[in-house]
Amino acid sequence: MSLVNFTAREITCKIVYYGPGRSGKTTNLQYVFGRVPETRRGRMVSLATHGDRTLFFDFLPIELGSISGFTTRFQLYTVPGQSYYNATRKLVLQGADGVVFVADSQARRFDDNIESLQNLQENLLEQGVDVRQMPIVFQYNKQDLPRDLVLARADLDEALNFRGVESFAADALHGSGVFETLKGISELVLRKLAVGGPAA
Amino acid sequence: MSGAEHALRRISAVRGVRGAMLVSAPDGLVVSESSMEDVDGRAIAALAASLAGRLRRAAGGAGLGRPTVIQLRGETGTLLAVPAGEELLVVAVGDRETNLGLARLELLEAARGIA
Amino acid sequence: MRVLEGWVSGPLSRFLDESAARLVLLMTSSGQVVAQHGFTRSVDVMSAAALGAGIMASTGELAHLMGSPRFGALVHQGTEQGLLLSGFDTPRGRWIGLVAFGPESSVGIVQLFFQQFTDEIAAATPPEEQRGPVLAENFEHELNASLRALFGR
Ligand SMILES: Nc1nc2c(ncn2[C@@H]2O[C@H](COP(=O)(O)OP(=O)(O)OP(=O)(O)O)[C@@H](O)[C@H]2O)c(=O)[nH]1
Ligand SMILES: [Mg+2]
Repeated sequence: MSLVNFTAREITCKIVYYGPGRSGKTTNLQYVFGRVPETRRGRMVSLATHGDRTLFFDFLPIELGSISGFTTRFQLYTVPGQSYYNATRKLVLQGADGVVFVADSQARRFDDNIESLQNLQENLLEQGVDVRQMPIVFQYNKQDLPRDLVLARADLDEALNFRGVESFAADALHGSGVFETLKGISELVLRKLAVGGPAA
Repeated sequence: MSGAEHALRRISAVRGVRGAMLVSAPDGLVVSESSMEDVDGRAIAALAASLAGRLRRAAGGAGLGRPTVIQLRGETGTLLAVPAGEELLVVAVGDRETNLGLARLELLEAARGIA
Repeated sequence: MRVLEGWVSGPLSRFLDESAARLVLLMTSSGQVVAQHGFTRSVDVMSAAALGAGIMASTGELAHLMGSPRFGALVHQGTEQGLLLSGFDTPRGRWIGLVAFGPESSVGIVQLFFQQFTDEIAAATPPEEQRGPVLAENFEHELNASLRALFGR
């Protein structure tokens, strides 16, 4: 649950980028890191293997500024996508306030996306969290690749997004869709803390 | 039984002594202990090591060289500590009836054997 | 020293006085900061908390896999500075303390007073406040402005 400090008027939320191996989760954070001015972000902590595969997690704290008089900070995490690392995925997922599911739009990665989404549901359930209660958005990444290699957003929505939540086409390598995705999940996460929002 | 354990037993056998232990001086952790009845060995180790470190600086500052024996008398008992080399400290806790002279001798003996 | 809730201040300042610790970070198991002393940048605190919680979670899992009970504490003794990482139960779930100390203190001293500190915290924890809405209904406008500014758009 988001951490709210009424005395100092601060809000801290944990957002986890989830998805299959090599779908572009780390790339999303790297892009955010590169765009946000240094004064508004911390160091990006990446626990990765030599080949840049995420081993434990990436972590990037950013400071949004003041919202309704609360200094609002987001902690962005990525999980390791490789199926081998499920134990560490569960650990990173603990206490998440929102999830960005980064799918790989390539047709040949279709099954990996489905498997990873099922894994997310299982891991949340194991922590006593109903997926339907968890703020989530989808990002269909690598849309810059040739048309014949990637699936369209509508197809991916049909396969993955049964709840009909917000979804975004993206090319995280060049940055398109990264901002929109972060904005989408931010709104959902903060909505839980707002007047007229669903009870937390 | 190791030499250190044997030495600690001898200290504990002195009249009035409630327990003895070997403490790692830089960490304040118990290395070995003997019959610490009703005494929190962990706490004494941490505090005695901290005390010994400060007293060592005080003694150095006053030009006394290194402390050889530290004796702290409380209302109901006494704490004795003797450095054994750079890294270790032999510590004993006794009640008011403790034979302090003999206890000190045993501590010094133990420290010589260990250092 | 910065604390999220006032009641943590008393026990924390006693711990700092007695242990002579340089840095202290108190966090929840998921890495949210509850209190800290000694850090200058709040974003660095968050990174330290994320890593500390990660280490605790993974060693806990490791202990579980090897069929041993949960580790009480992890100590790293460096040449200049030592670190203690230790979990403890509170009425609000498991919390984690990360303490850095120099030669003016010791592992023994830090562990001793950390134990007292966690006992005090566990005994003093008030029930979680039931909180109402925090943000205004139309917070999106401010959020969007903040995010746009952040991304230079
Ligand atoms: N063409 C293209 N390549 C991308 C895009 N996003 C990421 N990549 C590339 O895909 C590869 C994997 O990206 P990462 O961000 O490391 O993937 P990840 O999801 O963090 O992978 P794991 O850490 O193994 O879970 C890298 O070579 C990226 O450069 C994209 O939008 N388009
Ligand atoms: Mg990665």
